[in-house]
Amino acid sequence: MADVPVNFFHRQSHMTDETISTERSRRGFFAGASAQIGLFAIVALLWVIFSTLAPGFTSPINLFGIGRSLAVDIVIGFSQMVVLATGGMNLAVGSIGVCAVMLTGFLLQDAGMPIPVALAGGLLLGGALGWLNGFAIVKTGVNAFIITLASASLFLGAMLILSKAVPYNTLPPEVGQFGRMRIWGYVSPLLFIAIAIGAALYVLYRHTLLGRQILAAGANPRAAEMSGVPVGRVIIISHTLSGLLAATAGIMLVARLGAAMPSVGGEDWLLPSFLGPVLGGTLLAGGSVAVIGTMIGAALVTTIRSGLLVLQVGNFWLQLFLGLILLAAVMADRYRGVFLERRSLGRK
Amino acid sequence: MQLSIEGVSKAFPGVQALDKVSFELRPGEIQALMGENGAGKSTLIKIITGLYRPDDGRVMIDGQEMSFQSPRDAIAAGIGAVHQERNLIPRFSVGENILLERLPTRNGLLDKDAIHNEARRYLDLLDRGIDTHTEVRSLSVAQMQIVEIAKALSLETKCLLMDEPTASITEHETEALFTLLKRLRDEGASIVFVSHKLEEVFAIADRVTVLRDGKNAALGEPMSTMTRQNLISLMVGREEHIVNKPQRSVDTGVVLEARGLQTSFGHRDISFSLKRGEILGLYGLVGAGRSELARAIVGAAPITGGEVLVNGKTADIRNVHQALNQFRIGYISEDRKNEGLILTHTIRENIAVTIWRRLAGALGLIRPSAELDAVMPYVERLEIRTPSVEQKVGNLSGGNQQKVSVAKWLAANVEILIIDEPTVGIDIKTKAYLHELIHEIAAGGTSVLLISSDMPEMVALADRILVMHDMRLVGEVANDRRYETVSNAIMNRIHAVEEERSTATAG
Ligand SMILES: Nc1ncnc2c1ncn2[C@@H]1O[C@H](COP(=O)(O)OP(=O)(O)OP(=O)(O)O)[C@@H](O)[C@H]1O
Ligand SMILES: [Mg+2]
Repeated sequence: MADVPVNFFHRQSHMTDETISTERSRRGFFAGASAQIGLFAIVALLWVIFSTLAPGFTSPINLFGIGRSLAVDIVIGFSQMVVLATGGMNLAVGSIGVCAVMLTGFLLQDAGMPIPVALAGGLLLGGALGWLNGFAIVKTGVNAFIITLASASLFLGAMLILSKAVPYNTLPPEVGQFGRMRIWGYVSPLLFIAIAIGAALYVLYRHTLLGRQILAAGANPRAAEMSGVPVGRVIIISHTLSGLLAATAGIMLVARLGAAMPSVGGEDWLLPSFLGPVLGGTLLAGGSVAVIGTMIGAALVTTIRSGLLVLQVGNFWLQLFLGLILLAAVMADRYRGVFLERRSLGRK
Repeated sequence: MQLSIEGVSKAFPGVQALDKVSFELRPGEIQALMGENGAGKSTLIKIITGLYRPDDGRVMIDGQEMSFQSPRDAIAAGIGAVHQERNLIPRFSVGENILLERLPTRNGLLDKDAIHNEARRYLDLLDRGIDTHTEVRSLSVAQMQIVEIAKALSLETKCLLMDEPTASITEHETEALFTLLKRLRDEGASIVFVSHKLEEVFAIADRVTVLRDGKNAALGEPMSTMTRQNLISLMVGREEHIVNKPQRSVDTGVVLEARGLQTSFGHRDISFSLKRGEILGLYGLVGAGRSELARAIVGAAPITGGEVLVNGKTADIRNVHQALNQFRIGYISEDRKNEGLILTHTIRENIAVTIWRRLAGALGLIRPSAELDAVMPYVERLEIRTPSVEQKVGNLSGGNQQKVSVAKWLAANVEILIIDEPTVGIDIKTKAYLHELIHEIAAGGTSVLLISSDMPEMVALADRILVMHDMRLVGEVANDRRYETVSNAIMNRIHAVEEERSTATAG
């Protein structure tokens, strides 16, 4: 047979014409979206509950406060999401955030730099620390968990030594003014920044070379590498981006508080940073992100925090609740995974 | 054991994989299960072993209806299987993998000696060259396949379902397997054998069942009444036609040259040159080191000596990214599951990964329509069978996954393409299309280094054939397009080298 391969010239390709469609799989889209709609419904339900129990919950001042915290929570969630995309994690988001906070405070107050320069300095530091994480992970081959666990403590320690843990309280008044600014009576401009970042990330992952490469590297690093994706570079870029976003969140906090405090960030960010993305449907295994989901997930965190505050339930309860919600989210994630697997295996 | 399947149906989102299929297997027979890629063969096997639950229909064993909840139940009932996808644990040893389900213990601890002795017994039936102590992840794809078969044999079941067990092993090992399967059959075992290689089916099967588009096209027909033409028309519903190869002329310009290459795998003194528009074959037995050489060339494994020249200039290629973008060299990996594909991503993304850089415009933006335009021609020409290009690759049938893994490098439009076992698991019709495509890109000036264990494929495609044995190049054979002479020349070369070596060590 050998030397005569077979061929079929009449390609009455009924198969090709019918079975291949170029439209996006609707089912997939709705399956993804339905999880987020569910999450959104929970947030809405909580709003109904909180505003019935405490009428102050929907007062313009409280709405303004919620918007401001939400903005920060969203960006913190993003800072984790961008490394989850690569199948890694960043336990140092809080440390990087607070390092950026203190550098910005120093540049504004002690060094007397103009505001834009100080902001750029803070952001640059965040990016640089993130880059260090990424570089260490790629060069040593040690996993992100260990590296960022170590660097979280390292960065925080170094910051405390250098700043002696003294807050910068006398920043230029414009900083605090921006934080207090209200648009249409109750919307903080910080929220627009968060949304703009979300839009940029959405475009990044959906429509750009880099975003695609990040997701490919996250889903199967070996296959991505063998397909010509520069996996190491992509991981370093993602960590740099994570650091940059953590710094952004930190600086937003500076505006909100009108001061640079060494007590913000640190470990306090860890839980919310995972809650947003995981609730929103970003896979911990890497290779997929949910930008809008992360925003809704962050909204859940902010809502609960603010609601408990308005109801004057203590902070201990908040910790407990957030922990419970993370567990529930992770279980939902598992269940979703098992369910999808079952469905593809055809088990009911 | 008498196994019969009655009117089994199974649907996946957008696909009716099986539509009222029947099947019947008797004791003491080897029955071939055939059909094109996506016809439903693997689905049927997974239903029998309890991995999938049928939507409809019955699975009967010795007249009794059965419904397995898991492969474990199936094994307990005497049904063992080699699945198309490999399911080995990379960091466990070969021995541990073979006996995974029932590792022998002594005083509550694993009994290492017993594991390896026991595993050895089954492995020896097929291949004495694999050490039971090696970690599975350091084996070649073919070796893993053999371990997978040994694992199924070790279950000693009366019924054995083998889904493309020979897809990635050479004729040599296939022969050993066949001798074994025939013995088992004569001892009363019932065996299902899936393969896209017609010669194999004619060599071993007693009867054949054919699936087409998830339906029965033939049910347990005796092989003695079948001709090659019959079988093909049952599978594809049309007649076999002869391929028209485009006229090609091989240029004299050398595009890729290896000079005295050494690698950490143990390659020594590898020198060859590849001309523009040439299809250069690289043949060798399992373990000869062909894929490893390819990996070293594209920068996925270190070169420890000698040099690679691309278009006459020394090329220090450190990774695939550089190979692709700077030197325009591509490598189609033989290991589609781990290296070739991102199973959780879509067909579109998997094919386009090699061309994203080319498609990206200002700010790195990729237009979805440009991506689709680049991907669709390959999906169509290779007839990738799917409800949509947005389908996850992991949901495709094995052969269709293989098509995606090849398509993405064809789309990359590189100057030098190293193709490693491109048609593993691909049905004969698509294989012909793919051969046509390979001829076409070579006619267009792409140089191809073809690694294939499929001798007929080598003969059909290669201009000349390098023979590799034990990490060295041991000869070159001109291809006169006659299977017998080429195949004999190659095997003689390999045997001569083996003999030289054994007399050298003896003396
Ligand atoms: N888990 C799944 N989800 C969705 N579709 C599936 C799934 N498994 C199989 N299919 C579809 O069912 C059909 C039959 O697939 P199957 O794997 O049985 O084919 P096959 O005959 O084994 O083909 P091949 O020769 O390529 O191995 C294919 O169209 C495939 O895409
Ligand atoms: Mg199959």
